Amino acid sequence: MTRIDLPLQPNGTKVQWSYLPRQFNEQSIEQILDRLRAFIPTGDFTLGKPVREFEERFARLIGARHAIGVNSGTDALKLSLKALGVGPDDEVITAANTFIATIGAIAENFARPVLVDCTDNFCMDVSKVEAAITPRTKAIMPVHLAGQMTDMPALMEIAARHKLPVIEDSCQCILGAIADRNAGTFGLAGGFSLHPLKNLNVWGDGGVIVTNDDEFAVKLRRLRNHGLADRDSVVMLGCNSRLDSLQAVIGNWLIDQVDFITTTRIKNAAYLDGELGKLSQIRLPQRYNDRRLVFHLYIVFAERRDELLAHCRNAGVEAKVHYPIPVYRQEGLQPLGYRKGDFPVTDRHADAMISLPAHEHLTAKQLAYIVQTISDFYQS
Amino acid sequence: MPRYDIPYVNLPAQADEEMPELAAIFDRVVRRGSFVGAGAEIERLEARLAEYCGTRETIALNSGTDALFLALKVAGIGPGDEVITPPNSFIASTAVIAHLGARPVFVDVLADQNIDPAALKRAITPRTRAIMPVHLTGRVCRMDRIIEIAARHNLLVIEDAAQSIGSMFQGRKSGSFGHFGCFSAHPLKNLNAMGDAGFVTTNDAEAAARMRDLRTHGMADRETVEEWGFVSRMDVLQAAILDYRLDKLPDVIAKRRENAALYQRLIKHEKIFVPPCRQDEFNTFHTFVIQADRRDDLQRHLRAIGIKTAIHYPVPIHLQPAAAGLGYRKGDFPATESQAERILTLPVNQYMSAQDVEAVAGEVLAFYR
Repeated sequence: MTRIDLPLQPNGTKVQWSYLPRQFNEQSIEQILDRLRAFIPTGDFTLGKPVREFEERFARLIGARHAIGVNSGTDALKLSLKALGVGPDDEVITAANTFIATIGAIAENFARPVLVDCTDNFCMDVSKVEAAITPRTKAIMPVHLAGQMTDMPALMEIAARHKLPVIEDSCQCILGAIADRNAGTFGLAGGFSLHPLKNLNVWGDGGVIVTNDDEFAVKLRRLRNHGLADRDSVVMLGCNSRLDSLQAVIGNWLIDQVDFITTTRIKNAAYLDGELGKLSQIRLPQRYNDRRLVFHLYIVFAERRDELLAHCRNAGVEAKVHYPIPVYRQEGLQPLGYRKGDFPVTDRHADAMISLPAHEHLTAKQLAYIVQTISDFYQS
Repeated sequence: MPRYDIPYVNLPAQADEEMPELAAIFDRVVRRGSFVGAGAEIERLEARLAEYCGTRETIALNSGTDALFLALKVAGIGPGDEVITPPNSFIASTAVIAHLGARPVFVDVLADQNIDPAALKRAITPRTRAIMPVHLTGRVCRMDRIIEIAARHNLLVIEDAAQSIGSMFQGRKSGSFGHFGCFSAHPLKNLNAMGDAGFVTTNDAEAAARMRDLRTHGMADRETVEEWGFVSRMDVLQAAILDYRLDKLPDVIAKRRENAALYQRLIKHEKIFVPPCRQDEFNTFHTFVIQADRRDDLQRHLRAIGIKTAIHYPVPIHLQPAAAGLGYRKGDFPATESQAERILTLPVNQYMSAQDVEAVAGEVLAFYR
């Protein structure tokens, strides 16, 4: 096999984690600026026409009746729980390995996060959910981490049996699906993030909630805008958590490309799976025939992970770890009383996971270079 | 065709004036590819706002509402606490108190729509923890008396300065009197972003550091979560826009004051209360609110001839459905309630010419002839 070398990128790496400089290049910036030049004179900055357009298109994309634009993915989860009436002394079941925001959204409503371990697909182990249900459980919040999918058919069955609403944390899983049903459409609502490093990204914080429930949608629209039913009537205690119209303009420009982004990531992941799967020191997470995994993060399990991480970075491959300290072991969560060892799968993952670039702006050569870099490490 | 075309706000005119600079700002921020988090733009804006407001620290946040929320949160306000505030504000000042599980205690306002210090004093109970005066319309409250009362009763003062950037009382800027000053940079404010944005001013460095963690998930660094946090960052893009517009703020304020002074000179009528400028005050006129008989008829008339006005706010907070649980009733705050039926916000924006102001003043007077 011929050895590959690559030129250095502006940030000093050879395979960049961030695709922003490629995504927003000379040409696309000019296209977007044209749209902004048309939008700005309208002065329609707060819940304006671009937001309504984006909401309609996003709802269509996901296959939900309603989409509600909010300030962030975190707020998408927070407002969904608030709309359910989750409050002090209530419990919400979620995954022990999630990003801090999921837990923060629960805590912000003064409720108690009850954690369950994950499986080798980084999502909640649904078989452990029933044991975590108590009379105080108010909702279940599965997390489709890294673009993987929680076993939603099984989870919905448990939720129905216990009459519990499900809010899907789909922040990292736009267009992930099981048997063609998209993440966010199984439960009562699904929360998405439009953060600059997500698959569908805007130029600042942003988020969306999807739901098929008309009444729930009305409630969410009020909650995000100070509880206002119209300009002068405050019908409930609300927040200020709106998707900026300006960001919706960016979202409307980008939403046309989501299919391309998704299929390219899936293709890149399949290539990496095929090549890295040949190495005995690398273990792939669980893959499924009937699920569309969208690889917001491409993660594998690696032997001697920390050394591999250092090796990758030395070779110019910007690898990362999501997340080295599981959320349940964070200082902020100590009042919950969890201890190291409570979630063995999560712990095992934290020591072995490595995230590799797999985004839609990588060249075939860059992908091959990732493989070469990792092979080198284990052969030396 | 209506006789006039005088808008209440004029964002298209602002866009016209600024478009080349704005496009350059977008271009610069996008090329850097750093849209979220504390970068150079955020730090620069924070330092400049702190200098402008006369405090040691400024913390850039997602909105004015979040500024109030995080200030109360860092102040330790929670269940069982009472916070005294006026009922004639925008809903957000009360909502944040309730969101933290504390109890909003309303007191009535003076003729100038700002909180009545005497009423405030009477409302203090052993559970009172903080006072939240609202500098409505860009007029600073009687901060000398409020600070004195707060000091005597050992209460925190959290200024709702959402409408009052650059306003002064006895030569001091709003946001520099209390423990925290909470500002909004909403698109309709005098210093305006192109989406939601806000900030807190304070002299308390420790509180500022904690707020900076809280605005980004409670994270002290990428791997360490110190406490439950939120997502309440000012977008870098908005910070860059505000940094640019901060240079123009003195001119914006000067023009609004000029328009207001013209109104004050022209509208002299027994049926109309025109907001005054007193000796101690430097008012920035985020809004120019008159109080008038037959207000609804007047507003309808002005609208029909092409003059846009607004009402801030037609329903006092204590009479909103969301406040039902607080146990207040109609009649509890006579000044607030009577003003709610008489207040009318005239256009005063910086893009109005003297002729526009004269036309509005003339039509208001003509209505009562």
